[in-house]
Amino acid sequence: MTTLLTPLSTASQWGARLRDPRYLPVTGTLVALLLILVVGQLRYSEKRSFLSMKLFSNLLVDNSYLLVLAVGMTFVIITGGIDLSVGAVVALVGLTTAKLLIGGFPLWAVLAIGVLVGAAFGTLIGVMVQYFDVQPFIASLAAMFLARGLCNVVSVESLGIKHEGFAALAAWKLKFGEGRESWSINLSMLIAFAVLVVAFVILHHTRFGRTVYGLGSGAGGNAVALMGLRAASTRVWVYVISGTCAGISGILFALYTKSGFNLTGIGMELDAIAAVVIGGALLTGGGGFVLGSATGVLVYGLLQVVIAREGLQSWWTKVLIGVVLLGFVLLQRTLSARRSRAT
Amino acid sequence: MSAPTAARAPRAAAPQPRRPSLLADLRRVTRHQLFWPVAALVVLVLACGVYSPGFLDVTIKDDHLFGQPIDILRQSVTPLLLGLGMCLVIATGGIDLSVGAVMAISLAVSLTYIDATGPGTGTALVAVAIGLVTALLIGAFNGFLVTALGIQPFIATMILMVAGRGIAMLVTEGQITTTASPAFKSIGSGFVLGVPTPVVIGAVVFVLVTVLVRRTALGMLVESIGINREASRLAGVRARGLEWSVYAICGLLAGLAGLVYGAPTMAADANNIGLMKELDAIMVVVLGGTRLDGGKFSLAGVVVGSLLLTTIERAVIIFHIPSQVTPLFKALVLIIVCLAASERLRKAVTGAVGRLVPARPQEAS
Repeated sequence: MTTLLTPLSTASQWGARLRDPRYLPVTGTLVALLLILVVGQLRYSEKRSFLSMKLFSNLLVDNSYLLVLAVGMTFVIITGGIDLSVGAVVALVGLTTAKLLIGGFPLWAVLAIGVLVGAAFGTLIGVMVQYFDVQPFIASLAAMFLARGLCNVVSVESLGIKHEGFAALAAWKLKFGEGRESWSINLSMLIAFAVLVVAFVILHHTRFGRTVYGLGSGAGGNAVALMGLRAASTRVWVYVISGTCAGISGILFALYTKSGFNLTGIGMELDAIAAVVIGGALLTGGGGFVLGSATGVLVYGLLQVVIAREGLQSWWTKVLIGVVLLGFVLLQRTLSARRSRAT
Repeated sequence: MSAPTAARAPRAAAPQPRRPSLLADLRRVTRHQLFWPVAALVVLVLACGVYSPGFLDVTIKDDHLFGQPIDILRQSVTPLLLGLGMCLVIATGGIDLSVGAVMAISLAVSLTYIDATGPGTGTALVAVAIGLVTALLIGAFNGFLVTALGIQPFIATMILMVAGRGIAMLVTEGQITTTASPAFKSIGSGFVLGVPTPVVIGAVVFVLVTVLVRRTALGMLVESIGINREASRLAGVRARGLEWSVYAICGLLAGLAGLVYGAPTMAADANNIGLMKELDAIMVVVLGGTRLDGGKFSLAGVVVGSLLLTTIERAVIIFHIPSQVTPLFKALVLIIVCLAASERLRKAVTGAVGRLVPARPQEAS
């Protein structure tokens, strides 16, 4: 499969990109996004416009942690792997952060430890996958159990975070606009955006990124190794990246909820996977885009907004996400079937 | 797992004909794929027995069997039922992540029907039938996605894992449907000839599945698909229909597990029934010595695995370890089992042993 990206610079090539078969899943995501926005604008604009900076601001406030998770998951899925531990790691990092802050540790150290906990879990999975031939699905499952078990050891009750510095970080925001139309950018959004940019550069503009695509493009990554690229260490690093993103996400989630709880993040890994798949990544590996996954997160968030606006019960979210996931998987399936027939 | 060991055994035996036969027998026993799981189970049960005298006691009250071992048997039925279906699916090289959600759906459907109709025995039977048929249909849907549409099993079943709980919530309309039906409740908490009903159900299902796959060529065909799909297709194995029915069976058994698991409480809690049970099912299969990449499978291993898992959960209580750390235990067990199954680690260990014991001259070959 020809999924290695060549950096294009001119804007005029974007039109051709959208019709390119390898970008078709992402085009589908964009269409879905626009569809939801248009339908939303038509249905929910009685009092004030549905489409507004406030909508997007709220969307990002609510989903910045998911965005970071999805970005990390994108790397893993492109190699043809999966990381099921991220939800549990988010819970563990949140709890660790809360516990350490209550214990009086300095804020910067706590945040660093939080990210490191995530990275450690990623390393564990990566080593198991690469050096002990454990399937990614199982290795990350074991890590998920491990993280949940450790959560329970830290605390089975919700720990509120009352640390002043932490509260200041959570409350910090740049305000724009006036009155009901006002919107803001908070720290979580900035962090998520920074992660997005860094991931974009790493995945699409470095040798490491090319290796990631190569690992998922067939022959179990052997082709990449034969080409002289570092297949083994890249595969470990992919999981480290995902784990680190889970660590960052855990801190963002703690900023969002201002607490740590051992039952947070159950099913969050599935949300992240769903967002990545909706964003056009192939679960067989070899295809996917950081920005596609970001779009997937927006679609996911907008679906929740629509469900809330329609007054439907929250469990409809699960059903709808399932349906959308099925739709995108089928879309991928038909596309890849057509492609393999063409070659 | 067994293929490389079988190949190694004669080569190791050949240069040392004077090896005592007792040791050879011992080697054969320890190399059996069920040796380590069974050994772990025995050690764990004995440890519990030593730590808590009376652990192994089985008493008869009102013609019914009671005691810790009976409790373990009863509780191991849910993972057993899930594991049997999962084992077949894994043997084809697939996976079914939706079993937990299927448990919730079948229980929700059955209890909602009883709630709407009444507590009679006939109603209970119809309710069971409806629940099982629903589960079968869900399994068939999974099979359709995997075989007819060619979606990766992991993804195809994940869709229902996500959506299934939502569907169960739709059935119960977001409530925890509680109802009363003595006949239905007896599925989970009754006794047949003094033996708990779930145990009887588990035993019957195990025998049925074993006869179905081992007394016919079905099991071998399933293994052939898992070992080499293309080769088995060329040999004339109709993989599609077979795989489809395996997913359907897995769904059906998950539905049954849901009914057995939920019947004692008579409450269809769509959010919590069967939560994370798919992980238990996979663990049970792995503990029983079936490799996750498909191919050879062991149904007896599933029985041992489910007993082992349930005993671990029980041991946590016996040893007064806070029950919240159970997932930690499960994680460690899973990691150890996975690492032990790893070819690389095994080679490293046998290499180290080979270097320590110079009595193996053809190491270089």
